[in-house]
Formats: sequence, structure tokens, C-alpha cells
Amino acid sequence: MGPDRSVSRAAAALVALTALMSAGLAEGETPETQISALKAELAATKGELSRTQSALEALERKVDALAAAPAAPAAAEPPPKLETARILPVNADNPGISFVIDAQGASNTQGSDGAGFLLGTGELFVSAPIDPFLRGYASINGRTDQSFDIEEAALVTTALPGNLTVKGGRFFADFGRFAHWHDEALPFVNRPQSIDQFIGGESQAEGVETSWLAPIDQFLQVTVGVYNSLGADRFDDPSAFGSMKGQRSFSELTYLVHPTTYFDLTDTMNVELGGSLVAIPTGAARELYGVDVTFRHQPGTSSFYQGTVVGVEWLWNNEQFNDVVLGTDPITGADVTGSGRFHRNAGYAYFESFFNRRFSAGARFDYAEQLFGAKDLTRTYSAFLTWQPSEFQRLRFQWDDVGIDGPDDQRFTLQWTAFIGSHSHGFAAR
Amino acid sequence: MASRLVSLAVTLGVTLFGAGPAGAALRVVASLPDVADMARQIGGDRVDVTTIAEGGQDPHKVPVKPSFVTKLNRADALVVQGLGLEHAYLPALLEVARNAHILPGAPGYIDSSLYVTPLEVPESQSRAQGELHPLGNPHFNMDPTQGKLMARAIAEGLERVDPDGAAVYRAGLARYETLLDAKIAEWEKLAAPLRGLKAVSYHPDLVYLAHHYGIQLVGTIETKPGVPATPGHLEELIEEMKRQKATLVIREVAYELPLAQEVAERAGARVVTVSSLTGGLPGTSTYVEFVEANLRALVAAATAGGAS
Repeated sequence: MGPDRSVSRAAAALVALTALMSAGLAEGETPETQISALKAELAATKGELSRTQSALEALERKVDALAAAPAAPAAAEPPPKLETARILPVNADNPGISFVIDAQGASNTQGSDGAGFLLGTGELFVSAPIDPFLRGYASINGRTDQSFDIEEAALVTTALPGNLTVKGGRFFADFGRFAHWHDEALPFVNRPQSIDQFIGGESQAEGVETSWLAPIDQFLQVTVGVYNSLGADRFDDPSAFGSMKGQRSFSELTYLVHPTTYFDLTDTMNVELGGSLVAIPTGAARELYGVDVTFRHQPGTSSFYQGTVVGVEWLWNNEQFNDVVLGTDPITGADVTGSGRFHRNAGYAYFESFFNRRFSAGARFDYAEQLFGAKDLTRTYSAFLTWQPSEFQRLRFQWDDVGIDGPDDQRFTLQWTAFIGSHSHGFAAR
Repeated sequence: MASRLVSLAVTLGVTLFGAGPAGAALRVVASLPDVADMARQIGGDRVDVTTIAEGGQDPHKVPVKPSFVTKLNRADALVVQGLGLEHAYLPALLEVARNAHILPGAPGYIDSSLYVTPLEVPESQSRAQGELHPLGNPHFNMDPTQGKLMARAIAEGLERVDPDGAAVYRAGLARYETLLDAKIAEWEKLAAPLRGLKAVSYHPDLVYLAHHYGIQLVGTIETKPGVPATPGHLEELIEEMKRQKATLVIREVAYELPLAQEVAERAGARVVTVSSLTGGLPGTSTYVEFVEANLRALVAAATAGGAS
């Protein structure tokens, strides 16, 4: 019952009481019955007044509570905005800058490395739009076993028609899956041995690359590129044609084609497929083929289980090598050198499951044949556990069992990685 | 033979490069389900809306899928919640989507935060304070009075991209605002028991809702925004809850329930699950259903009494 209604009912009762008192006795009424009726009316009026008082007190308490509570934000109609979006200001004089620190402690049971600490990566990364048509980025990297080096310094178009993007300079060529990832973006402590041997670490290249996104609902992207060579650590390989040094004809350059596509299997499961071909038409006449498959389960809605990634990549290399060790003389034991074409295979498979937002764990198997000479084989079994205290800091432990010849080498690595500033490798490192 | 080749080439060309049929609906990609529903409510049949994130997901950690790239590549408009909420996935997708019309600042980039007055704009952007949003707390969608402002910005954005549909978008906005006004008035009465209620949330995404309905937030389970709880922080939080007699632990559906339950149990409070996005709870496929479900859950927990 509302307070207004209570007040009006009380007033009506008072009026009735006054009227009764001023009027004479009605016919058939005795003074006793009249007094009894008046008493009843008086009791009812008192009740109404009491309820009204309670309602008023409740209203007062509500008003006091409203006054004490924080004021609700006003949703008054503001005038129309001239701008179209709230975006972070970009300072043309100061590009996005970040620095990655990747510190490692490692030990192994075989070989001469023993135990020790190293700077896995100290990477300065800068990126910014250059004009409405171009952006640029550079990555300058140093580590314990190498002085500072310009890993990447590239220009990327942003406004070409026909869904085209052109990249030029020094950059990680778009080969396969992990070859063009920076060390600190990998899900492992180290790059798979197969990629190290067949690509030469990262797919670093100097040249030009064009990528095209098919304007259809199905994701289909094709990258073609031409470079001096491919592979950050391949410059000193025994093949003269893989060298960065010297002039060469067009047929001695390195060419790449890499189509990749993607399928949503369900709302939470998807698969990504890629094929890569690197070719040097003459000289080493190298042909390097790669296929990569990545399966992801990404429910994204569970607080206990965040998802799983399974990845496989396989490489075939067919290449001419000159003046390389082909074997040993059975009589003298001396190295036998010569030239030849070598067909070799390598690859890896891994999975990583993500738990509890900050924890993930996985395992990897890697298979890598020697690129030339004797078909020496390196098999590596790895397991890794990652903990991210925040988005910008990560601790990872990895165990590797590396089998080449003789007893397996057991390697233990603890990696501590942190990101200062604005750091993102974007879509490529998804 | 030649004519068949020409026909094949034309078919292929239309398939690969052709725009949609004349008069087709405006292709709108929405970053989150809240703004997707608003765009549908306002644009009706004139818009074809697809959504990137789902309601049960943590909006800070949406997977970057290549299938989103093709949607963005072919979009006429992109609707975002804004204030940097989509920073974890949208910049990476836009970088490769090759669609200049929907980049931030371009006409096709529709920012629903345009009329919202941001709360918790950080004075310092040091990461020592957690994963901050430099433009302010972006979870304004949980407060329906801010939802009304979002709808206005979306309607104006759609009209900017598709001026021929101005009448449709204005009528759609008017209808939607009328609905929201009625529901907001209804929700004011529904949420009356929340005023003065003391609670903690998992992540600081209830700030706007709490501000509007008078809930007093006394802390978060996260140590800092986006930074997981540490044992020391939890001890302090539980002590603070006891000291302030906080009675609710509000757990957003994308976050861990067991930890919220542990905190509530130790502090003598109740746990209530809400969603920070439309679609996060069953039966909340629209923004109105989402707001109502959250308020009903909060009121039910607030009036239940006792710890659970």
C-alpha cells in the first residue's frame, strides 16, 4: 500500500468520526452500540495512522540510502560526435618500441657444454606506419654467442589494391610454420632441429615477397618471393649458391611459393594447411618442399581447459653440394670429399595443451637427417612446461633427449622471457 | 569452346573478385556479441552481421583465426565495443585483412564507445599496474544505460557507411531505445536490493554496472587487471571482505569457479556467476536478455542470505 493512499484513508476515517460525533443518535441505536462503533472506528484509524507512519519512515530510509550511494552516471543525450572512433594516439616521432629479454640456464649430460647461463635473445623491435601506404619494422637481435645483428628491416605495403601486400628488405621469408617465427614467439625453448638444419635457423632472407589473400569466404593466402638466399645461419654453408656473397644470375636466386588455407571443422576445432616450395633453378639447383598441418581445439569458454594445438611439419630437401665430406676412407680413415645431390628429410610433430589460463604443457618429436654427406640422423624427444605469471612474462622448462650417435644427450633448459614495451608479431605468430 | 571459356572466366572472376549481388545486405562484422546484437536490432534485414568472439569467451583472449580475416576482408563495416577491449585479437586480424575501409579512423570502423564516459582511465600506464586499458575500463556494456549510448553510436556508424539506409537505422534506433528505456525502468526496480551491496568481482569488469546500481566493489580476485591472484593478495582480499562485510563474490563466466568458491567460502560470502558478454549465460542471445540475466542472478544472490 502506498503512503498517499494510507493518508487519504486516515483522513476519511477522521471525517467519518467527526460526522458521527456531531450527529444525533440514529433510530434504533443505543448509546452503548454507538460508543462501541466509535471505539472500533477509532482503533481502525489508529491502525491506518501507524501504517502511514511506517511507510513514511521507510521512504525516509530509502531517500537516505539513495543520498549515501554513489550517483548513477548520467545518460543524457550528448551532441553528435565529429570523430568516428576512440583510438590510441600515435606519435609519428616515436614508433612502437619493445625489447625482449630471453635469459636461459641450461645443462646437458653429453658434450662439452656442461651447465651455464646464456642470453638467448635480446631483441629490439620497432614498428610504425611510414605513410598511408607503407609501414616499416625492424628487429635487432643480440645473444650470448652472437653480437647484435639486424634480423629484420622491412617495408610492408598497406594499401595495395587486389588484396595484395608487398614486403621488401631483410625479413623472415614466409616458409612453412615456425621458420618465420622469432625465437621468443616459439612454443618451445629452441627451434626444432629439423628447421635449424634444413632452413638454417629462421628463414631470414633479403629480397621481396608478395602475398595475396583470395577475396572469397574460404581463407586462402598465397605468398611468392624472390631472395638472395634463405636461412639466417645458412650464409656459411658449403654451397656457393647458398651464399650471400657475390653477384648471381636470376636463375641462381632463391624463389618461394607458399599457399596456405584454413578450415573451421566445428566452432571450436580448426585446421590450417600449408605447402611451401623453395627453389634455386641452377647452381645448387635446390628444391626444398615443406608441408605443415596445424590442428587447434580452442573452446575458449572453459576456465579449466583452454585448448590444444597439434602441429606437424615435414621437409624434403634435394640439393647439389660441392666439396663436402661424403664419408671416410676405410683404409686411411681420411675424409673423402666430393660433390653430389642429396635427397634428405626432416620434420617435427608437437602438441601443446593450455590449462588454467597461465599454464601449458606439451611434447615434441623431431627428426632431422644430415643435409649432405653421410645420412646421419638426429632424433630429439622433448617435453616442455610453460607458466605465464602475466601476459608479458613467461617461464618455461624444457627437457630434450637428443640422439645422434653414442649415448643420448639429456638437456635441461630453464627459459625466462619478458617483454618490455609494445611487442607483437601479429597474425603471423598466431 | 571459346564462349565456354569466356563463361568460365566470368564465373571465376565473379566468384573471386565480384561484389555481392545488387541490393545485398550491408556486410557487418562485429567484434563481440553485444554490439552484434545491437547492429541487428538497429539494422534489421538491411545488415548481415557476423560475430568474431562468443559470449562465453574472455574478450581479452579471443583466438586469432584465419576465417576471421576473410570476414573482415569482405566487410563493409566493423563494429567494435571499443576502449581497447579488442586489443588482443583485432589489430592482428586487421593487419592482414587488407580492408582499408574498416581500419580505425576509417568510416567503416564503428566504435560503440563514442558516447560513453569512460571510468577508471589510468593516470599512469605502467604495466606494474597490470594489463591496463589506456583509454579507460572497456566493460561499459554491462550497464544498460551505457548500452543505450552504444546503440546510438552504432546507428550513426551504420548510417555513415550506408547513407541510403538512414531511415531504416534511425527507425531501428528509435525502436531499440524505446525498448531499452522500458527495460531500464523495469531493471531499476528489479535491482533495488543491490544498492549498497558490498561485493568483489574476479576481473574489474563490473565497474559500470556497480556504479549505476550502487553496488560497492571492495576488490578483485585478480591481483591487478589481467594478473592472476597471488596467495598474498587473496589473504588481503579475504580480510578486506570480512572487514567490510562483503557478501558476494561475483564470478564472470569466463573465469575460474573453484577459486571464486574458495574466496567466498573463506570470507563467508556467496558466489554468483554473471557474464561480461551477451551469450555468456544460457538464454541470453540478445543484449536485453544478457543484462536481465545478470541482474536477476545478482538480485537472487543478494537476497538469498547466508553463505554458500
